[in-house]
Amino acid sequence: MVQGPAVAVAPACACCTEPAVVYQPESRHHLCRIHLIRYVEERVATTIRRTGQVRAGDRIAVALSGGKDSTALLLILSRLFKDRQDVSLVAVTVDEGITGYRSETIRAARDLTRELGVEHHVIPFSALAGADLDTLLAGREMQACTVCGILRRKALMDTARTTGANKIATGHNLDDEAQSVFMNVLRGDLPRLLRNSGTDIGDCFLPRIKPLADICEKEIASYLFVQGRFAALPECPYTRYALRAEVRSMLSSLEYRHSGTMRHLIESKEKIARSCAGARAPGILNRCRECGDPCSGEICQVCRLRHSLGQ
Amino acid sequence: MRIVLPDQSIRVVEHGPCPVEEVLVSLGINPLEVIVSRDGILVPEGTPVSTDDEIRIIRIAHGG
Repeated sequence: MVQGPAVAVAPACACCTEPAVVYQPESRHHLCRIHLIRYVEERVATTIRRTGQVRAGDRIAVALSGGKDSTALLLILSRLFKDRQDVSLVAVTVDEGITGYRSETIRAARDLTRELGVEHHVIPFSALAGADLDTLLAGREMQACTVCGILRRKALMDTARTTGANKIATGHNLDDEAQSVFMNVLRGDLPRLLRNSGTDIGDCFLPRIKPLADICEKEIASYLFVQGRFAALPECPYTRYALRAEVRSMLSSLEYRHSGTMRHLIESKEKIARSCAGARAPGILNRCRECGDPCSGEICQVCRLRHSLGQ
Repeated sequence: MRIVLPDQSIRVVEHGPCPVEEVLVSLGINPLEVIVSRDGILVPEGTPVSTDDEIRIIRIAHGG
């Protein structure tokens, strides 16, 4: 449960006397606005330090959809690295072309990068796949997240390279990570469950870093809200077709009743990965015989997708 | 109590005084999936609210 017995007075911050704005079930702490902001930014800095995600000389392409997670990510990274001359940021927004959804988030992304003075690139799906997502998915909406994911990763990787970035930062939070672990278990996809996108990439891909991976979704939303930066944006119309939507709802319900469930899931994955570390065969990377991109088989996922779309 | 729901619809209930969490659960809303504000200020789930209050429930998961 989020909260214990009913309280008669408004809760105060555990660090000062100001009124609390959030409750953290795992630590059982209430935090005020100032201490919430401090907590989130320090937690991200700790994650980056602990995992060695950022090094001197890095140019980081921040995947910026304009939604809450990527907005918080760019905001925090730009604050953490504002005095570092040896680390630079560039924002990349992929415009899938989803009617009634993407235009608002792209506007938010443009406004944010302008405010922060961060270089920003917007890449439309049509430049990569010849059509927008709505057109590509006509009659195959159930595959929306698979098709979108493949093309979005490709667009992000290519654009990041073009901008001279050597890493890609994504806004995946703790809830996202727990959902991914559970989805991979449900699909029986052990290789994907154990994959570390920050290290298992050979020389062909840019490593991906996830600085928000220790922060839960509600903390991120609260972090933005108390700074007047939380925008109630529309939901992706394809979300209802996704397994993730069902998993999200189920895990969220479990987390509410059994605090720590999501973190335990992630820890389980890490324990399994450590146990399997010696037994895992290194993935063999080939070059796609059609486009030359790195892939594990003869043809990469993007070319396979293009064939299935009749291109 | 006047409640602005995530879809912007408004519900008036005779509820309280009670914690925000109790209001959410009575509406069938998982408190982890929303944030709640009162007079534009974010409030935690343990905050007591009464019949004179207006609270706004904001869904945080957008998907995509």
